[in-house]
Amino acid sequence: MESLVSTFHVDVQLLIAQLVNFAIVFSVLYFFAFKPLVKMMTERSEKIDKSLKDADEIEKRLVLTEKEQADIIAAAKKQANLIIEEADKRGEERKAALVVKAKEEVAQVISGEKAKLVSEKAEMLKEIKKEVASLVILTVEKLLEEKMTGEKDKELISKLVK
Amino acid sequence: MGAENIIQENTEGAVHENTDEVIHENTLFAEPIAHIGHFPITNALATSTVALIIIAILAIVIRRNLKKVPTGLQNAMEIIIEGFLGIFDGVTGDRKKSLKFAPVVLAFFFFILINNWMGLLPGVGSIGQIAAHGGEKIFIPYLRGGTADLNTTLALATLGVVLSHIMGVLAVGWWKYLNKFINIKAFLEIPKKIVKDPMIILVNPIKAFVGLIEIIGELAKVASLSFRLFGNVFAGEVLLASMSAILAYGVPIPFMFLEVLVGLIQALIFAMLILTYLTINTTAEEH
Repeated sequence: MESLVSTFHVDVQLLIAQLVNFAIVFSVLYFFAFKPLVKMMTERSEKIDKSLKDADEIEKRLVLTEKEQADIIAAAKKQANLIIEEADKRGEERKAALVVKAKEEVAQVISGEKAKLVSEKAEMLKEIKKEVASLVILTVEKLLEEKMTGEKDKELISKLVK
Repeated sequence: MGAENIIQENTEGAVHENTDEVIHENTLFAEPIAHIGHFPITNALATSTVALIIIAILAIVIRRNLKKVPTGLQNAMEIIIEGFLGIFDGVTGDRKKSLKFAPVVLAFFFFILINNWMGLLPGVGSIGQIAAHGGEKIFIPYLRGGTADLNTTLALATLGVVLSHIMGVLAVGWWKYLNKFINIKAFLEIPKKIVKDPMIILVNPIKAFVGLIEIIGELAKVASLSFRLFGNVFAGEVLLASMSAILAYGVPIPFMFLEVLVGLIQALIFAMLILTYLTINTTAEEH
């Protein structure tokens, strides 16, 4: 031991000095480099982990949304087609109904006119007959003023009026 | 050192004047360059203080420029820490334990590494003063590789081993930990189990003796750690000095590279051994 100290000049003071040096190195390294660095590194890896997970989630959701979108579009198309079809059908029906109604109306109008015409004609005929009868009577009277006997007159009148 | 030795000597007037008589040798110990009261400031202590300042500046720079997205120095440090944590996991087998021991192990690593490499810098070991010592003039460099002094390595090794014991006591409990070395439990067991197993009267004293040997083992740990590091670094300095004595230009260069590597490897070995001791002592196990 004695020779060790004399050969290598081992000195308790120097040993303590080196220990102090090392203690300072340790604390500086720990508090200024290691601790914040490790903290930051763990934070970063956590963040990356989270981001990756989030990205996965987003992708999944995107796929889901796309599917949903397609579904919705397909459903909408179907419905639209249905609506169009219905509208077509309804239009057709309405058209038919209108045509029928129009025809009816036309028929009504025509029949009304016809009846009117017939009655007018009958009236006309009646009036004409009346007038003709009076005319004929007048004419006949004028023509037969003097030559008419009672018997013949009666006969003639009855014949004419018939 | 080495190659620069001669150059520096020639450029420094003070040295040049006394070249004929100055003794220039690699001493096994660090020489004092100044005294504060009774406290000798050796050149090795000066170098390790410089190393401390370098590390402190680096750490503060990293702290100042800490960013979420790492750049430059922070990036390098993160790679180093990440790599080391990977290696530590292989030793401790547990990331939590690795993170617990990493600060002290990394502090050992960086402090030793910077000290080892400081010893290789031009000017370290070559700029110095002439001291009269018993009629002879001796060249004393202002700086000497911090780990080329047994004081430094012994302090570090002792601290590392003591720390591993403290951690061991904290992790296992003092009674159980004490019995690893002074095995009182082995003797207490004898009356309880002797009926069932008579051989215990022979086995347990041997166990207790093994525990005593472990105490010597702990001292050997300190000795091997400190002398390995000191020996390697000091040998490197002597090697470089001898090579530059052959030819100062060119010849020491391959050895310089070798010493850079040795400095790194020795720092790594020291740190990993401390980690191993920490891990072994904190795991409770029966021998």
